Amino acid sequence: MENMVGYNPSFAEEVFQNVHSGDKIKMCMNCGVCAASCPLREHMDYPPRQIFSLIRAGKREMVLGSEAIMLCTSCYACVVKCPRSIPVIDIMHGLAHYALTKGYMPRVETARFGTEFWKQVYRLGRVDEKDLPRRVFFAGGFVEGIKKMLSFMDIGIKLMLHRRMKLLPERKIKGVKSLQKMLNKAEVLEKGGAVR
Amino acid sequence: MKYFLYWGCSLEGSGANFLVSLKPPCEALGMEFLEIEDWNCCGASVSYAGAGDLAIKVLNARNLAIAEAEGGYDVVAPCSSCYIQMIKVNHEIKENPKLLDEVNACLSEGGLKYDGTLNVRHIQDVLYNDIGVDKIKERVVKPLTGLKVAGYVGCQSVRPYGEYDSVNKPVVQDRLLEALGAEAVPFPSKIKCCGSGIFLPEMDYCMVLVKNILEDALNHGAELISTVCPMCAMNLELYQGRINDKYGTDFDVPIVYLTQLMAVAFGMDMKKDAALNYNVIPPERVIRAAIG
Repeated sequence: MENMVGYNPSFAEEVFQNVHSGDKIKMCMNCGVCAASCPLREHMDYPPRQIFSLIRAGKREMVLGSEAIMLCTSCYACVVKCPRSIPVIDIMHGLAHYALTKGYMPRVETARFGTEFWKQVYRLGRVDEKDLPRRVFFAGGFVEGIKKMLSFMDIGIKLMLHRRMKLLPERKIKGVKSLQKMLNKAEVLEKGGAVR
Repeated sequence: MKYFLYWGCSLEGSGANFLVSLKPPCEALGMEFLEIEDWNCCGASVSYAGAGDLAIKVLNARNLAIAEAEGGYDVVAPCSSCYIQMIKVNHEIKENPKLLDEVNACLSEGGLKYDGTLNVRHIQDVLYNDIGVDKIKERVVKPLTGLKVAGYVGCQSVRPYGEYDSVNKPVVQDRLLEALGAEAVPFPSKIKCCGSGIFLPEMDYCMVLVKNILEDALNHGAELISTVCPMCAMNLELYQGRINDKYGTDFDVPIVYLTQLMAVAFGMDMKKDAALNYNVIPPERVIRAAIG
């Protein structure tokens, strides 16, 4: 009996209010097709189905601290297969975003990658494919940064030799200021807000 | 036929061979491409870490609003991540008109408005449904006879909406390959995910996904793998050496864009138009063997 947990609506309510598409977990019937279709299921501490049950059970720490919520490759296999048409990906992304705003750091590398990616989009309006990895690598400190840069040198050189790397730094789009105003407004209207 | 071509950030860098090889054969088929003035990034698959959902919708709606005001032609997004991000806005505002109001409240900060009238199309959709395999066959001067190709569809170019092809058993890429004279080999991993946008930060977990896809293609007799996605191309091609080191395999499979094969079959220049020299694993040998 010790594995049985009752419903605790307070965390579920928090998710419904703050996580994008969070209220859609109400439709989950726990069939597990999402987990079966997921390419990274074996690395997930809790597959999506279980995450949804944990939310209903009020297990806040387990959900927001879970690695699974950041292991989504966005392949949409689960979304296509879900018999209840739950936007599983939107919920996983929403949970990851919410967890980061609350100071959790599930899957450090992916969290850094995604956060730096967004910062660059906000700053430039575009993504600079050579600058982004550099920022991600050095986000964990100088020594770690150098090590990682060296370990990816071969890939960088291959891309450069085959004309698949823009040599000049990416410039800001002309309307970057106006884009930023739009994104700031979105942050105000949004559930949860942005990670800064 | 006029289209907006929203090529996105990757196709100016790691996916440059896609952009270079896309224009000449498509233009030869009568397509005319316009650029969306001052376009921005679509946010790709990982922006959710930093941004909320509405911000990502606004990012894409900005591009659509500009395209709508500039003539409203269909938007062709060759990168599957750009495609899914853009098409998602359109789908969601149809289901939820309140979202369009919110998006427009944000766009108005920059003097823009989106009415939701645009169609977002994948390059395979346009080639298959607007141009058609018959017209493509007519244009082929160097058929890729006997070239065994595994047509790798990946995920976001058909899922989740299945706008132009089946989400479970897609056939469009295979039909296009056959129109070029190639043999599309059976390939059960056709719609398996390669790790997509999180391959780099989650490489330890994602390498096996690519290994399985490569193995499956080779086991079904493929000499090369074609793709229509810059992330698939990058993940499948660039990390073969690492996969070999980790798993003791000996992969050396060329990964080409469908449009590169089109350019070759249309008799265009192997470098200037098909951009085969951009590939890290050279595809020339198997392709030359096919066209003779």
